[in-house]
Amino acid sequence: MNPMLHVNEISSGYGKITILRDINFQVKENEVVAIIGSNGAGKTTLLKTISNLIPATTGKILFQGKDIVKFPPHMITQLGIAHIPEGGKLFANMTVYENLLMGTYNHRKNFQKSVLEEIYQIFPVLKKREKQLAKTLSGGEKQMLSIGRGLASQPKFIMLDEPSQGIAPKLVDDIYNKLSILKEKGLTILLIEQNINYALHLAERAYVLENGKIVMDGSSEELLNSEHIKKHYLGL
Amino acid sequence: METIIQSVFSGILMGCIYALIALGLSLIFGVMNVVNFAHGNFVMLSMYFTFWAGSLYKIDAIFSPIITFPLLFLFGILVYHGLIKQTLQEHYTIQIAVTVGLMTFLGAITQLVWQARPRALAYSIVQGTIRFGSYTIALSRLISAIISLIIIMIISYFLAKTWPGMAIRATSDDSNAASLMGINFQRTYALAFALGSGLTAIAGGLLMTFQQVDPTMGLRFGLLSFCILALAGLGSITGLVISGLIVGISESLAMTFWDPRARTLVIYLIFILVLWFKPRGIFGRK
Ligand SMILES: Nc1ncnc2c1ncn2[C@@H]1O[C@H](COP(=O)(O)OP(=O)(O)OP(=O)(O)O)[C@@H](O)[C@H]1O
Ligand SMILES: [Mg+2]
Repeated sequence: MNPMLHVNEISSGYGKITILRDINFQVKENEVVAIIGSNGAGKTTLLKTISNLIPATTGKILFQGKDIVKFPPHMITQLGIAHIPEGGKLFANMTVYENLLMGTYNHRKNFQKSVLEEIYQIFPVLKKREKQLAKTLSGGEKQMLSIGRGLASQPKFIMLDEPSQGIAPKLVDDIYNKLSILKEKGLTILLIEQNINYALHLAERAYVLENGKIVMDGSSEELLNSEHIKKHYLGL
Repeated sequence: METIIQSVFSGILMGCIYALIALGLSLIFGVMNVVNFAHGNFVMLSMYFTFWAGSLYKIDAIFSPIITFPLLFLFGILVYHGLIKQTLQEHYTIQIAVTVGLMTFLGAITQLVWQARPRALAYSIVQGTIRFGSYTIALSRLISAIISLIIIMIISYFLAKTWPGMAIRATSDDSNAASLMGINFQRTYALAFALGSGLTAIAGGLLMTFQQVDPTMGLRFGLLSFCILALAGLGSITGLVISGLIVGISESLAMTFWDPRARTLVIYLIFILVLWFKPRGIFGRK
């Protein structure tokens, strides 16, 4: 079976600076795959390249068999890809409800309120804050809203950029519990993380990104037991 | 006392139209962070178009926006795609150069086509005055103010409740995040620019029901709208209306009690004071 996402020999960067070099990886349907790496490894750059917020200089990105490397960002989401960007990137001066509504933008011609009800069921706190401006939310609530907004587009495939970043440990548990609900619902997930324990407990497989290159991959168990990961990422 | 009230009242009426003009500038600036220095000249151009429609085709100034609004809307789209789009990634000085260039260009065109002579329409169906006790108000000014407020409310509603309006707000908060939602932000920018430009057509039509147009007006309306935007800051339409009223009233009082030629001076003074004491505006966010 074809993978859902197939990233093939992708390079990209900012201006003349190349950050990612010859990246290859795949995500199959219903799979949760993590990409882990430390600060500045190029994780955010990779997601931005998939969404074409920055253009790839070489390579192909196949989504369900179709090369999307030249698609503009707004058309990529229309294919059913949701990108939850680093730090949430909410619409700060819009309410929680309006942020979720913007998530349904692709389906605006036949908007269904039930989509939002489903998101409120996963994140009840968003229902409570419905009328509040997004900029007034706490860090954890912002992250949940960003995930909720991504889900509102009814995606087949969701890419998360460090959902644990800048959030108190207790709330990280909370967010990962929600993510495992999504996993059980059969959503295909690409998870970017520095927080390796969390990432590898949710994901089935992972790739390790260092200095813009993928240096390792394997099942989560293999990686958790590897000397390289233990030494460089878990400080054991 | 009576003169003061009379003067404040006519300031309020003018202020509503000023707020409408500034709303166009604010839409454009809020969404794409471009200060359109040619904005005042868009108003002036609209006034000349209204003059044409009136003198050549006998279209009443108050109805002229039916023709000039689509015209200016289209003009906005052309300017966006032809000039503004290419500068968005550039340093802001390039954007300033481009819109100041457009301002100069439009100024020169209007001088060529309509010469330096002031132009006015002889007649509008909205005329006469109404009396409130000992005060008299020109009906044309009153109706223009009311129409301005109605248009401002329509735009408010458009931004708050419709998909393209919400797309404009989302894009002004974060254009990348907006494109991740499926919004084509180039189209949103073009729409905001076209709308901002279209609003000057309505203002131009209203102004021509009671006043003349001459080639100095572009600069005056430009300065006026920068001043109102500086006072209001971004994000509050109510703040924009109040700022419009403040500018309208100050201008009117200056003309009544000081010198009619001091009107622009007063606006400039307010502008400077705001920049000194409240650089983010009085009503703006953050
Ligand atoms: N807009 C930019 N212009 C130039 N260089 C950039 C830009 N954004 C990121 N970089 C550089 O690209 C490299 C990779 O950055 P990226 O944000 O992808 O890292 P990351 O793995 O997401 O790190 P973090 O875990 O801190 O989020 C870094 O060296 C960074 O300095
Ligand atoms: Mg990052």
